[in-house]
Parts: sequence; structure tokens; C-alpha cells
Amino acid sequence: MRVCGHSRPGGCRVPLNSSAVSSQSELESLVDIDVTPRDPAFGMPLRKSDLALGALAVTGACAAVAIVATGGVAMKPTAYAAVLAANILTFAVGGLLWRHGRPSSAFGNLLLVEAFLLVVASLSGSPASALNLIGILGGWAVAVGATWLLLSFPGVRLRGSAWIVMGIATATVLLGELPLILVSPTVRDLAAMGRCTGICPANPALAFDAPNVAHTFGHVEAALQAAWATGLLVYLAAHFVRASQPRRRLVAPVLAASAPFVAAFAVKALLVDLAGVPTSSWVQAIFTGTRILFPLGFIAGLLFARAYAGEALVYMARRLAGRPPVAAVEQLVRRVLDDPEARLVFWLPRRKHYVDRHGVWVELDPACSGKTWRSFGHGNTRVLAIVHDPMLGEDPELVEAVGAASLLALDNRRLQQDLLDSVQALRTSQRRLVKAASAERRKIERDLHDGVQQKLVALRIQLELALDLIEAESVAGRRLAGLGARFDDALDDLRLVAHGIYPPLLSDEGLVPALHEAARRSSVPLTVDLQDVGRFPEEHEAAIYYCCLEALQNVAKHAGDDADATLRLWRDRRAVHFAVSDDGVGFVPSTHARGAGLTNMNDRMGAVGGALGVTSEPGEGTVVEGRITIDAGDRTGRDVVHV
Amino acid sequence: MSSTSEQPARRSARQPAYRLVVAEDAYLIREGIRSALERDEDEVEVMEYCPDFKSLLRAVERHNPDVVITDIRMPPTNTDEGIRAAASLWETHPEVGVVVISQYVSPHYALTLFEHGSAGRAYLLKEHVGHRIQLMEAIREVARGGSVVDPKVVDVLVEARLRARNSPLSQLTKREREVLAGVAAGQSNAAIADSLFLTKRAVEKNINSIFAKLDLTDDNTVSRRVQAALLFLAEAGAEPGPEEE
Repeated sequence: MRVCGHSRPGGCRVPLNSSAVSSQSELESLVDIDVTPRDPAFGMPLRKSDLALGALAVTGACAAVAIVATGGVAMKPTAYAAVLAANILTFAVGGLLWRHGRPSSAFGNLLLVEAFLLVVASLSGSPASALNLIGILGGWAVAVGATWLLLSFPGVRLRGSAWIVMGIATATVLLGELPLILVSPTVRDLAAMGRCTGICPANPALAFDAPNVAHTFGHVEAALQAAWATGLLVYLAAHFVRASQPRRRLVAPVLAASAPFVAAFAVKALLVDLAGVPTSSWVQAIFTGTRILFPLGFIAGLLFARAYAGEALVYMARRLAGRPPVAAVEQLVRRVLDDPEARLVFWLPRRKHYVDRHGVWVELDPACSGKTWRSFGHGNTRVLAIVHDPMLGEDPELVEAVGAASLLALDNRRLQQDLLDSVQALRTSQRRLVKAASAERRKIERDLHDGVQQKLVALRIQLELALDLIEAESVAGRRLAGLGARFDDALDDLRLVAHGIYPPLLSDEGLVPALHEAARRSSVPLTVDLQDVGRFPEEHEAAIYYCCLEALQNVAKHAGDDADATLRLWRDRRAVHFAVSDDGVGFVPSTHARGAGLTNMNDRMGAVGGALGVTSEPGEGTVVEGRITIDAGDRTGRDVVHV
Repeated sequence: MSSTSEQPARRSARQPAYRLVVAEDAYLIREGIRSALERDEDEVEVMEYCPDFKSLLRAVERHNPDVVITDIRMPPTNTDEGIRAAASLWETHPEVGVVVISQYVSPHYALTLFEHGSAGRAYLLKEHVGHRIQLMEAIREVARGGSVVDPKVVDVLVEARLRARNSPLSQLTKREREVLAGVAAGQSNAAIADSLFLTKRAVEKNINSIFAKLDLTDDNTVSRRVQAALLFLAEAGAEPGPEEE
């Protein structure tokens, strides 16, 4: 599956390389956790360049206020200075916020440019004719710039029908204002408040004075202004209606803040400039208010997007706490992004490509500049990517938040899986060791039995035969008889050693006979209750056998002389159990340092995945209980092999 | 130790010897058995020596012996072929006595051997094969349907019984226990007296006392005595459980 950015002509989601290459387990194990903090930008410390830009904006605002207030040109110098200062500062703050909040976006720079143009526009308050003209042209640039901002928002480039609106704006300047400047002795500022009263500065660009022509161009300009503002409103409205949910979230505040001003712009052009309806002070007030409000939309849009991303993060974090499976994480991503086709894909570092959660190869074209997919990882290590609707590229905070939460969820799952895997591996290797040790002991016992022990037994027989050949009461006879007795002792010792290494009964006949035998050898008065549990893997039988032995030895050593013990063995559907209980003196388990015996038992049971419990109380005896879960197929057929 | 035995040879002069089949896979032990049996050539005649389970069953088929002496552990599985041979012969040749020789002291094997009944079965430790009296006693006992357990194995059982609380055996004196072990092992009173350095009368007194304490009816037949003691021990040994407390 090839996924491509929408900026690429015709290139979107062309199925290409659909082959199931990976299993879930490979997905789960695809990345080494590398805890390099990606970007410690939390709290957003101010950069020096931003401080400088901020200072510049404040200086510009002050300059604008000074020029307009002291120039004596503007119709309402105080109000106009205030509006300009507010506009300059708002655009500058908006620009700085955007630069911070979306470093990847150049929109912040556009806002800063707009702030700069506003400073230039304030020159229209200057009585010097050249500066005045520059200021007036700056005012038009501000209007065109604001139009560009609204059309391109939240990006910096214009697309499709936005160019029509931009064309009208340009036409207004080229066909209306510029000819007007050439033929009119006085030029007027675009903003009514900034227009000159009384003696206006002379127009230095005047080519020839033609009032009639100027009048016509004035009307052309007003008509084009109305068309411009109306086109802009239509474009914004249509764009909003067609926009995806995340884009609406971003655009709505901008639309809400700018629409009144643009509408006022259109109405003023139509009614005042074109139809000649006299302006009233409250129309002016509305115009001023909407103009101050206008740039706040850009800030609100960004803040709304960030707030929504934060909310999404909290929402996801809550739902991811239960460590849901990958499919559920993907569902959550879709819901939060409001993109039913969003997908999580996972990077396979060894194969160097992405796969989806079913292991199907997904090709993400790097040439698509990440507009429809965004990758997440640790440091330079890729882990996953979110493939999403191109529109979501305009809501990077949200995608970022969703990606980070998904990454966290996946990491959690992977960590948990790694932990489980390593525990499993440890247990397997432990079990292998125990099994190998068990087999080795059994082999040694067999070797002893069939080797040394057998040779000694054969010698013992020969000794007895020799004894038969000589007089029993002779010195030699008595010597030999004594030798025979000592021989028997040696044989007994050897037998004990061999039995201790691995009781042949355990391997040959299983737990029940071996435990009965152990009970016979036990030095403690013992009640035995052994259910016929059948056969189990050798290491399981050995673990239970030696634990019982150890527990019986503990009874003999610690339970006191009068203690009676009970040895029980039973099984249910899930596990084979044993219990060694006594009615001896008992102990306080919490204060009692764990003895070697108990540690041994724990180790033995732990190695085969079993469990061991010890309960005791002073005067109440002690119970050592253990169980080993029966895996499917654990019971061997050893009890039925006999031919 | 001399060859004196209280038991008169049951076989008449016309039929001088017990006909034996011996199964033992270990060469050294087999040679030991051969030498031991050669001492009593007039009483035993070995028809065939077999190295494994299958050849043993075939040899029994072929010779129809009086007694089989078999190693407990032989090819093919090297686990308990001897006991399985005894069980198998119980079905096919109930009249054949079986002496299982073993290096295992664990009573489990002896008790398994007697699972189908103790008649004509003996469990002897290999190191006692050279002991002329023990070996010949065992052969004679199983040939006439009696049973014998190696004294050392009986010791283990008796020891186990002694540790069990409320066991009737715990009422026995040390001497009585020694005598009982001898009895359970199928030794004659004379043999017991011999091995314990007692007079025959003392042994008889002990035996009567044992039977009284164990609440067993007096019976003069040696094999019945042994059987009774053995079964008692076997049951007690196998299940020193709560039912007899």
C-alpha cells in the first residue's frame, strides 16, 4: 500500500506491495526502547530572536502611535493610533505564538510581516508628502496582506479559488488605487480614521490633475473593494462548510473574528464609497471594533487547536491506561483524529519499511513530505507512523498528541511483552537447567548402579563363595567374615549415596512409590496420604519429591520430638499438589530468617514454574504446601509403556 | 557357615535337582550365581542362562523349570523386567517359583513382586546370592510355593513400622524384631538361632511372643508364618495410613 501526500499530483493511496510479511510478534518486538527525549520544548522558553522581534513590534507600535498622534493629518489621530497599536501588537504576538506553537509552519512569519506592514501604514499619519504616500500604499498592502492571511490560513500558500479573491484584491489596487494616485491631487488613506482632514499633504505621485477621471477610478476602486470583500467572505464560508472537523476547529475562530470586519469592509465600500451614504459614528465604531478583533482569530485558532490536542491527549491517555491491544489503539486514534481511515503503521527496522497491524507492507513515500503521514519514535529511531487525512496536516498539535499517546501505549505493551518474554525465557532456561541436572543425576545413579555397585556386589558374592571354601572358625575364616561385614557396610553406604543422587524409584515408578519409600526412611512419625497422581515430567517429579524430603527433614530438625507429620499428595484438573504438615512447635514466619531448606524448596519449585507456601504459627505446627500447574501434554505416557 | 539345613531335600534320588533358569545380564553377577549354584550341583541344575527378558520367557517355555532366578533389571528397558517376568509367569506357569535378585533395598520392589500374591516368590538382594543358606532357602521356598524377602528389605519395613505411632510392631522388643525379620525372610528357626546366636528354644519363645503381640493365630507351617508376617509388613509398609491409627 503506497501512501502519498496530497500535495503530490494524483498521488494518493495506490495499493502496491500488499504482502503479509510479518507476524504480530514481530510487530511487538520491532524496536529497542531508546529513551532519548525527543524535544524538551515543554513550557516553550522564549528564544532571543523572538524577544528581539517582540521588542521590534513594541517599538513599531510606539512609532506608529507617535506618527499618527503627532502628525496632525489623521481624522481621528488618537483612535487611529490606538487601533494601529492594537493591530500591530496583536499580529506580532500572534506571529510569535505561531512561530513557537508550530515551528514547522511559516504562518507566524506572515503575521509578523503583517505587523510590519501596519507600522509602514502608520506613515499615512505623517504630514511629509512622500512618507504620507508610502503610508497610504502601506495601508493597501496591509489589506492585501490580511486577505492573503485569511485565504492561506493555516498555511502560507494560496490554492484554487483563493487566487480569484487574491486577483480581485490585486485588481483593486492596480485598477483602482494606483490610477487614482496618478490623477488625484490628494490621496486618501484606506482607513477612514486615518484620512486627512483640512490640508492634506500634496500627492508627490500626481501625474496630471483630472478630477473626473479620479472620480471614475474612485468608483471602480469602491466596486472592486466590495467584490473583494464579498469574494473573501464567500470563499471563507464555502471553505468552512467544506472543511474537515479538525480544520473547522482551527478556522472557526478565525472566521468568527474576521467575518465582521470583512463584511464591514464590503458594506462600507458599497454604501459609503459607492452609494455615497454618509457614515455615522456608530458605523465607524463597529468598523474600529471589528478591525481590532480581526487578528485575534489567528491567536484563538492556534490556542483552540492546542487545547483540543491537550484534551485529546488526556482522553487517549485515559483509554490507553488499560493497555489495549493494537487494534483498539488504532480505533482510538481514528476516533480522536475524527478520521475513520486513519491507520497506525509500524516500522520494521530490520526490513526497513512500515507494516500495518496485520503485517501488510505499507509503503510511505518520503517524497510526500509527511503531509498525510507522520512518524513517531525515540530520537532517531522510528517506531510508528500515523497515516491520516491530508487535512490533518493543518492540525499538527493533534496528530502529535495522538502519535505520542500511541507511541506510549505501544511502548508500554512492548515493555510488558519484553518483560513477559524475558521472564518466560528465564523460566525456560531455568527449566532446561533443572531438567539437564535432573537427567545428569539420574545418569550418575544409573552408572553407579550398573558400574561400581554391581562390581562390588559381584565381589561380595565371590567373597561369600570364598568364605565357603575355608573353615569358618579358622583365623582366615573369621577375617574373611569380618571383611564381608565391612563390605556390606560399604555397599550400604554406596547405596545411600546413589539413592541420594537420584532415587531410582522416582525415575522408574514415579512420585507415589518414591514418596512411600521416602516415608519409610523418614525419621519422623508420619501419616501418608498419597493419591495416585500419575506421571509427570521428570523435573516436576524431582522438584516435588525433593521438596517433600526437605520439608520432612525440616520437621525432623525443627518441629520438636513429639511432632507427628502428614505427607499428602493429590492432583486436580489444573495442578499437582503436595503438603507436608506437622503438629510441632511451629515458628513466626515473618521474623524467621529463611533457612537454606526453605530457600532450596523455593528454588526447586520456582525453577519448574511451581509455587510454594509456608504457613506456621508458634505452637500451631507448620504446613509446607506446593503445587505445579499441569501443562497440556505434561503427563507423560511413561506409566503405560510396558510391552 | 556350613551347608547344614534343617529342611530335608524334598526331591527324591530319582529326581535329584531343582531345574533352574537363570536370567542376569551382567557377566560378573552371572558368574557369581554360576559359582554359587555349582556348590549345590546335586540339588540344583541350571538349564539355561539368559541375558534378557524375552530370552527368559522363551527359556521357561522350553525347559519348564521349577525355579527361575532373575535379575530385576534387564534389557530391554532396564527397569523392572524381573518383576514383570514374575507377573507374566504367574499367568502362564503358576507352578514355577521365581527368585528376583536385585540391588534395590527399597521394599517397593518386593511389595510389587508380591502384588499378585506371595506364593512361590522371593526377593533377594544380589549381594546375598553368594550366601549359600539364603540362596538355597530361597530356591527351596519358592519351589514349594513359599516366599522369602531379603532380611535387609524386611529391616527397612520393620524400621518404618516402628516409627509409625500406635504400631503393634512398636510393642516388640529389639530381639523380637530381629527374630521377626528372620521369620519374614523365610529363615528357619535354626537359621535364625544361628544368625542371632540364640538357642532354638529362645527363638521359638520369641516367635510365640511376637505372634501373641501381633495377634496372629499360631500356625506351624513355615510358609504360612512367613506369609502372614510378610503380608502384614507389606500392607503396613505400603500404607502406614490413618486407617490403622
